[in-house]
Order: sequence, then C-alpha cells, then structure tokens
Amino acid sequence: MNFEMSTWTPSSYIIVNLARQIRPDEIAFSGVNSTLPMLACLLAKRAYDFRYTYINVAGGVEPQPTTIPLSSSDPAIVAGSPAIFANQDFYDLCARGGLDLVYLGCAQIDAEGRTNVSVIGSWENPRVRLPGGGGAAVMLPTAKRVVTWRTEHSTRVLVDTLDFVTAAGNMATLVTPLGVFQRDTQRGARFRLESWNPVVDIAEIRRQTGFDFDAPDATPTAPMTAREGEALAQLDPGGRLAGA
Amino acid sequence: MTLVAGLRAASYGVPFQPVAGVHGSDLAILNGWRTITDPYGSGKEVYVIPAIAPDIAVIHAAEVDEEGNARVYGSPFWDHVLTRAAMRVFVTAERLVPTDVLRQQPELTLVPGFMVEAFSVVPNGAWPGSMHPYYDVDYPAVEAYMKDEPGVLEAHLDAAPETKDQKQEKEGRQGGSIRDRS
Repeated sequence: MNFEMSTWTPSSYIIVNLARQIRPDEIAFSGVNSTLPMLACLLAKRAYDFRYTYINVAGGVEPQPTTIPLSSSDPAIVAGSPAIFANQDFYDLCARGGLDLVYLGCAQIDAEGRTNVSVIGSWENPRVRLPGGGGAAVMLPTAKRVVTWRTEHSTRVLVDTLDFVTAAGNMATLVTPLGVFQRDTQRGARFRLESWNPVVDIAEIRRQTGFDFDAPDATPTAPMTAREGEALAQLDPGGRLAGA
Repeated sequence: MTLVAGLRAASYGVPFQPVAGVHGSDLAILNGWRTITDPYGSGKEVYVIPAIAPDIAVIHAAEVDEEGNARVYGSPFWDHVLTRAAMRVFVTAERLVPTDVLRQQPELTLVPGFMVEAFSVVPNGAWPGSMHPYYDVDYPAVEAYMKDEPGVLEAHLDAAPETKDQKQEKEGRQGGSIRDRS
C-alpha cells in the first residue's frame, strides 16, 4: 500500500500526528494497548533527523523490531534492544521526572486533559467497566508531557464532564482522526485546536466535541511528508494497521 | 503503578509505600488512599499505598531446575516484584534444565530456588498467551475464546496444552513440591 502524501486514512493521520509530538533528545515511552503510538515512535526514528530515545512497555530500549506485532506489549517489540528496561524501571523513571513524553490512552477525556479509563456510568452501578488506568494516575501527573489519542472523535469520548477521573495532570496533546488539540501542562489550562484534518472543518469538529474549545491559531494539518509516508509504508507493509 | 507500590511495601517488609502522582485521581477516594507530609520538611504531600502481600504468586518461567531455580528470558514484567511480595511462590516452566546450565549465567535466574515452594514443568503453559522466546500469542485461540456463545469455554479448555497432555500426565509430569514450609 502506498501512503499518498495528500490523503490521510484515520489511522495514518493519528500515527503521523502522534509522531510529530516527539522533540529532539527526548525520552519517549509507549505502553500497553498502544499500537498507534508504537508505530509513531518507530516512524519518528525513520522520518526525522534528530535523536531521541524510545522505550516501550515490553522493556525495549531503542528496539529495532523486524515485524510489528498486533499487540504493543508483545515481546517481539523488544527485538534488537541493547538493554531491557523493565516495568518497574520505567514507572520509576517517570515518577522521578525522567520521562519527557508518555503516550497514555483514555476512554473519555475532558477539556483540561483529565482522563477516564475506569468506568462508564457510576462506579457502584456501571454501564461499562473499563480496564483501568494501569499506571495512568501516577504517569499523567509525573511525565513532563503526556500525549493521548482516540480513534473515535465524538461527544461521548471528548466530554464536558468525565464519568470518573482516573488521572489528571500533564496532558499536552490529543490526536483524533479529525484534529490535533494542544494544552499547556498547568492546572486549569484547556485544550485548544491546533490543526484539523482537511476532510472536515472546525464547525464539524465543534459538533463532534463535547467540550468547548478555542481555536485561535488553528490551521489545516500539514500533509504527510514523503519521508513520513515512506517510513509508514516500511513499518506497516500492506497497511494492516495504518490503512484503516 | 499503585499496585506495584503495594507489592513493594510487602516485599520491603513495611506497611505502606509512598508513590508519586495520584493527585487529582478519583482512585484515591475510591480506594481510601491517604497522604502524608514529608517528615523531613520539604512540605511535599505524598500518597501512601498499603502493603499488598499475595498469599501465593504463580509465575511461568522459561526454565527451571530440580531446586526450583527459575530463569526468565527477555522482559520479566512483574515477575520480580510478585515473587518478592508473595507469601508462597509456585513456578511453572517450559522445560527442566540441569543446575549446571543455570550456573553458567546466574544473572538470568529471576527466582532463586530457596524462595520456590513447588514447581511444575508445563510446556506451552502460557498458551494462548506468548512465552518469549518460544512462542507468540495464539490470536485465533484468543478470538475464539472471546465469543459470547455456549460451549466456548469447554472448547477452549479442550484445546489447552494441559488437556492435550493428559495422557502424558498419567505417565507422570516432571516437578512437584520441593519443600515443606510448615
């Protein structure tokens, strides 16, 4: 599959825009159930000219996997690592302020970047019991910046009021198939729309979003570069993960 | 992370473990977690998680010897803290190896035999999960098991390596209790 520079799939839009959050010399981490961030981190290694360190939840440090597994915690993503940095090691690194960028998932998110991965409905009388936060309650406040993503952009995901606050803290970026939101990592700061997928407009994003947001400097998202497209095609031949 | 903190408290032999973060999470209210102020004067308020000491930890290792020394290849995930926090440790392993093999690279032994109460050699024991470096996740088996239909559980159990090995079982599996803790 060729990834055309001008046409995004929902998944390729998320992967590339997640990759674009990584800055030179950072230490970035991707966790469980995080296939899109895993691809983003591997893509950044190939498509960008700066150095950064990638650590993943299987203990891989600068891994060089030859195949991309479906699961982002598969031991296959440790392949090629010169070191194993195990579960408690990277939690501790985050807790003491050593992780610059952490990709953390969410089921619901609010305008201040708080996340719910615990329950839909009330805790005592849930409609859906979710898998729980993993390390979210510790990592969201202690990572320097947290980036999250959702494959569904809707008013039930981007909400005004969370059903449950699993974690709060240094959320910086939210990427959906429709747009990229940024916020300052300080208490009370709200998401603002940074850029949007040209398949929609800002009015459509407002209709699909459960919280109010400003978009003072928002622009259409820059198209996929040739190098980003090549890296994605190498990592995901056939578009099994990025093609949808 | 807070679960690890509780397990660490048990493995360190202390009643609670301070942990970073948690501020602003409803989980603290739900679980009744308390904070303490740094007694050394920094003014920082830190959540403390009560000790979690499992009665039994069961881990699946790559190799085990007759003494229960257990080797894990690749990433140990939670095996280390679980075996230190639990009151009793049981090991299942892919295969039995002579102790001399472990002596050649003792740093690969995650659990020393003196901590292990009993072990059993269970080839493919992590199925349908993966066991590095021997086999990957059996995704078709996982998908079949996730179907919400009658008979799914029975079909899953019938396909499990333990069931397939039942004949072998009668002939006597390797392993067993290696020490009596009473």
